[in-house]
Amino acid sequence: MGGERLKIILSLTPPLLIIFTLFFGGIFYGFLQSLGYQPAIGKYEINFSAYYNVMFSERYAKLFWTGLGLNLWVSFASTFLAAVFALFGALAIRKTFFAKTICNFIYSLNLPMPHLVVAVGIIFVFSQSGLLARLASQIGLIGSPGDFPVLVKDKYGLGIILAYIWKEAAFFFIILMSVLQSLGENFEELAQSLGANRWQRFRYVILPLVMPNLFSASIIVFAFSFGAYEVPALLGVIYPQMLPVMAFEFFLNPDLNARSEGMALSIIIAIIVMILVVFYFWLTQAKIRKD
Amino acid sequence: MSKLNIKNLIKSFPSMDRPAVNNVNLDIQSGELVAFLGPSGCGKTTILKMITGLFQPDNGDIILDEQSLLKTPTEKRGVVMVFQNYLLFPYMNVNENVGFALKMKGVDKNIIEEKVKEMLELVKLPDIGLRKPKQLSGGQQQRVALARALISNPRILLLDEPLSNLDAHLRDEMRDLIVTIQQKLKVTTIFVTHDQEEAVLLADKIALIFDGELQNFTSPKNYYEKPKNTKAAKFFGGVNFINAKKINNDLVTDIGTVNYKGENYIDLNEDNIITIRPENIKLSKNNDFKDNSFKGLIKSVIFSGTHTRYKVIVKSLELECSLQSVGLQDINEDDDIYVHLPSDKIWAMNE
Repeated sequence: MGGERLKIILSLTPPLLIIFTLFFGGIFYGFLQSLGYQPAIGKYEINFSAYYNVMFSERYAKLFWTGLGLNLWVSFASTFLAAVFALFGALAIRKTFFAKTICNFIYSLNLPMPHLVVAVGIIFVFSQSGLLARLASQIGLIGSPGDFPVLVKDKYGLGIILAYIWKEAAFFFIILMSVLQSLGENFEELAQSLGANRWQRFRYVILPLVMPNLFSASIIVFAFSFGAYEVPALLGVIYPQMLPVMAFEFFLNPDLNARSEGMALSIIIAIIVMILVVFYFWLTQAKIRKD
Repeated sequence: MSKLNIKNLIKSFPSMDRPAVNNVNLDIQSGELVAFLGPSGCGKTTILKMITGLFQPDNGDIILDEQSLLKTPTEKRGVVMVFQNYLLFPYMNVNENVGFALKMKGVDKNIIEEKVKEMLELVKLPDIGLRKPKQLSGGQQQRVALARALISNPRILLLDEPLSNLDAHLRDEMRDLIVTIQQKLKVTTIFVTHDQEEAVLLADKIALIFDGELQNFTSPKNYYEKPKNTKAAKFFGGVNFINAKKINNDLVTDIGTVNYKGENYIDLNEDNIITIRPENIKLSKNNDFKDNSFKGLIKSVIFSGTHTRYKVIVKSLELECSLQSVGLQDINEDDDIYVHLPSDKIWAMNE
């Protein structure tokens, strides 16, 4: 028994060592830098001034709080809309012959596609010089492509939201299709025979059945879009700026002292995401206890 | 209480080379408890789903109280189905599950509460309203599913294999409960089963279905005593089949001429098959019988507790006979024996 346990511990040690070193080592070193500890430039003192600076200083406070607001808005809107599109898409095609083919197509094509490529695609399609603007101008809906509404590089982050919807709806779709197919149609048929109309079957049967998976996927998507850099960097504006872009700009600043602010921002993003994950686990555990 | 007529019902699926349901006709009277009996895949559940409206028939009609149901959507038919695996909504407690149909109808909360209580008492589970489905045993889940189906006072209640997921003890209990509730509420009920014993114990009438075709629709007793054809007879444990030709007023069989008193005599064709249940055959070492007595040889004797089964060879034909073990004559293998087929227990069939 003891030998078996030792064997398990020994086999798990190498991968755990790598994970702990890279993940927690990175976080710990980043946290130290956020506290001002940068031996490379002769800074050894530890304090929270970088955190104070980004959140409350006259220079950065407005940037930080509007950035945080934009981050929350973009992450919430893109997660919610991607989930809604995926849910209705999955419900519309799940009974069709093509459902499996489309599912496989999305899985093989959209999921491995880098976010950067999707962001470029959004520019090509939705910007004022993009495909839709030219098309709308050609068919006379608008006078010139310049009259097309600003959907990319706009202050509300619409382009970023579009990119995330494009990319994450596929992720939601795959999860929902697998849940819906494993559930089958019996619950809905039963509800129908008990007198539930189409809307009631959606509200009282489908939604509660898919909600746990939808919620788990939403947490993952929200956390990802909250902390991702490349799409906001490509499709965002200079002000307001999302927090990961701000953090990276601090980090690229030729003034090495600004690295502490960059790291402080990164740690704040990480903390917010962790709070979300902890909240999710707490909810899940509470539900298990309740059941 | 509702009367259901099924007329020339046909349903095919692209994946099947024959219709899943082929020209089925049934008249089910108000308050009857009917079993759809047949092997797996014979089309029983397909008929049930057409009655609920979950499947549309290719042809034929389903008439409930003189009105066709075909254009009525499932949710408005008043036909409620209890599925084989109960399908209690896992995120609702028992009260919410049972009250579901009334909630869908927009019934007042207080009335729902009262009705839920009443239904849970009816299925003898008055104190489990706040439990979640996974906290219930299989038998309890089945009862809750039944209460949920009955709460809306359905015109027709459909039960898909209601006892198949229960162990032997719970089956007996649930069977009694279904009969009691059905008799109390007088709701026209159809249940699907592949178990002939279950069908016989529960149903007023049995619709026997093979390969999508209705073989017979009659009382359980008739399946034993007056089956329509050899398929039906075999499904109900018939083992003795003898070819018989109708000549003048006699049935001439492979073992001799048989005196036949069945009321279907005039309907018989020239070529027929007669059957008799093993428990209706009599044996005697002396020829004690007036008619239908044939000399044979005991091939085997199998004691099975209350009964003893004999295989007897009569003119190269093997007949099976089952006699009560108590007070039995001393009959052994290779004994010469007289086999008596009482004329009122023989049944002749065209196919």
